[in-house]
Amino acid sequence: MSASLRRKLSEWLTAYIFLAPWIFIFSIFVVFSIGWAFYLSFTDYNLFSPPKWVGLSQYIRVLRDKEFYQYALPNTLKYVAIVVPTQTVLSLIIAFALDQKIRLRRFFRTAFYVPSVTSSVVISLIFIWLFSKIGIVNQIFNMKVDWLNNPTYALPTIMMVNIWSTIGTMMLIFLAALQDIPVALYEAAEVDGANRFQIFRYVTVPALRPAIFFVVTMGVIGCFQVFDQIYVMTAGGPLGATTTIAYLIYKWAFGSTNIRMGLAAAVSFILALMILVVVLIQRRFIESREE
Amino acid sequence: MSRKIFALLALVVVAGLVLAACAPQTVTVTVPVEKQVTVERTVEVPRERVTVRLSGWAANPQETALLESILYRFSVENPDIVVKYEPITGDYWQAIKTLVGAGEEPDIYYMDIFQFPFFAKEGVLLPLDDLMASTGTSRDAFIPSLIDAFTYEGKTYGIPKDFNTLALFYNKGLFDQAGLAYPTDNWTWDDLKAAAQALSNPDQNIYGLGVPADPGRFPIFVFQNGGRIMTEDFSDTLLDRPEVVEAAKFYTGFYFDKSGALPSDVGEGWQGTAFGKGNFAMVYEGGWLIPYLNQQFPDLKYSAVLPPKGPKGYGNLVFTVAYVISRNAKNPEAAWKVIEFITNEASQTMVLESGFALPSRAALVDHPYFKDHPESATIFRGANGATPFMWGLYGSDVNEKMGQALERIYLKGQDPAESFQQAAQELRAIIGK
Repeated sequence: MSASLRRKLSEWLTAYIFLAPWIFIFSIFVVFSIGWAFYLSFTDYNLFSPPKWVGLSQYIRVLRDKEFYQYALPNTLKYVAIVVPTQTVLSLIIAFALDQKIRLRRFFRTAFYVPSVTSSVVISLIFIWLFSKIGIVNQIFNMKVDWLNNPTYALPTIMMVNIWSTIGTMMLIFLAALQDIPVALYEAAEVDGANRFQIFRYVTVPALRPAIFFVVTMGVIGCFQVFDQIYVMTAGGPLGATTTIAYLIYKWAFGSTNIRMGLAAAVSFILALMILVVVLIQRRFIESREE
Repeated sequence: MSRKIFALLALVVVAGLVLAACAPQTVTVTVPVEKQVTVERTVEVPRERVTVRLSGWAANPQETALLESILYRFSVENPDIVVKYEPITGDYWQAIKTLVGAGEEPDIYYMDIFQFPFFAKEGVLLPLDDLMASTGTSRDAFIPSLIDAFTYEGKTYGIPKDFNTLALFYNKGLFDQAGLAYPTDNWTWDDLKAAAQALSNPDQNIYGLGVPADPGRFPIFVFQNGGRIMTEDFSDTLLDRPEVVEAAKFYTGFYFDKSGALPSDVGEGWQGTAFGKGNFAMVYEGGWLIPYLNQQFPDLKYSAVLPPKGPKGYGNLVFTVAYVISRNAKNPEAAWKVIEFITNEASQTMVLESGFALPSRAALVDHPYFKDHPESATIFRGANGATPFMWGLYGSDVNEKMGQALERIYLKGQDPAESFQQAAQELRAIIGK
């Protein structure tokens, strides 16, 4: 054995010894759990009796389930399609505004960030009151809409809540990225005679591309998995109008008298696959222009 | 002697817990603490102690204190059995199902009748008949509709701990205002309808009757109309039968002619609050409404009568919870001793006098407590001829589809027959019919 090989081996060994605690935890709580869930998605399992192998039939059942293709899937896609762009654009604008030297800048930064450090359950409860039929929102606008009990308005209401509560975190990421942009770039653009909008469009936004990618990715993952606001505010109702895929997983796994763990596991993997595909497409879209 | 001191000390602790729990709210809790003092006897030093684990949800601190004081009395009489009370906070069913799945469940736990079919079918519960015979505990001692509910394939799996039924609660002030006579136990649907119409005043946000799209309220109208929700063996749904559709027409009719409303119409999530605030003159609720009203709306003048009879007579729902023993229990005999004690007549009397729940013992029907608490008496009597709130293995799906059928009528103005037809079809797709 040559000396260099021996050194390489000892380097490896050292690395893996340092990694060992993490690998140990990772393999139990991530690899094993996901593997077990993947196995369960091919079985009929109700927690009490041992899992029964049923092949692909749980996946077929999910795709044929009216609740999945009529409510959960379209609701989730609608939710992602509206919430992700809205919260990204709004948080970018707010971050840009709060990056300027305006008065009370610190106050606004804090105010916009407060919802992000508040429990989503508490936020949901507050919004239930705000949007109740005799709530403040209806009183201000002199309306009589039962927001959360109306199949047309329930999902948009929850979208609003989520946009409002996540904007803070995304604004913070954008703010950090904005402050990373070298001043020289702006100065060069000014020398070239660019106006403020052009500077924003051709200097700021391209320089923010990695941050945008990060924010959109986190937004997509979070929105596909939206659960707590729905669990607290509408429980998937009225008439399935706010049933999302994540809520369906909960309902099949724990929310019913007859546990359908295999079915829930199958939907989970369908959801994971959807998120993966969307993130890959979106990476193509945002990163390809960089080169 | 030291036993005695210990007993008194523990008593002080329990009493302290009760008092501490009561301090912030002004609830008069009549936990008969004095009775514990009379338990003074020399107890042999036990040779071997057996541990029994008991779990339930913790509804409120007072109820927990009550159970703990009953368990304390048990420990004095049975020094060889240690009861470890482990209340589960949060989502009880998620927790208990996971525990059962892992084989780590407590020896004794609470079982709601609604969840019972799944546990019974999966064989994770211990049949209690032999244990009952060993202590001479008779099924007849319990209210039949309760003990029957926890019977599966001829075997008893649970001893009902308490129960609730629905009663028609009415706001005396609103009745006086409208110059109407108070409801009686002999009311019919026609009386209900006439009173609701006379009481309603939508301009002032006052409605006669609360008619939520709630699968825990609507079925009594089906029963009163001679219908059923499911077949006898729960293998098929009867939601598309004419009796159900007619009941739905009558029930939702209150909403459409403004003699009734949904809780959300007056900005509430629960009709109990709407009743307390005087928005609803009448609501169908259970005994849980009484402590809530006493705490939140102490000035409200109200009472309760049996649900009015429909075209086919009386119908009501029974909500009940039992103690069950796990099939994995290492000491079934000890576990049974615990259940036997906490459901015996003395303990059940304590439950009744505490005012939290109604006892499952049939003999307590003549207890003087009912004389001073007519609402509780009504709910206790309501069990006679009532149907357990349980729709078989797919109970949660039945509830969901039934609720959605009502929502479609309310929110989309769908025809009741069509809406319940759809509910039945969707349900059959799930049950696999």
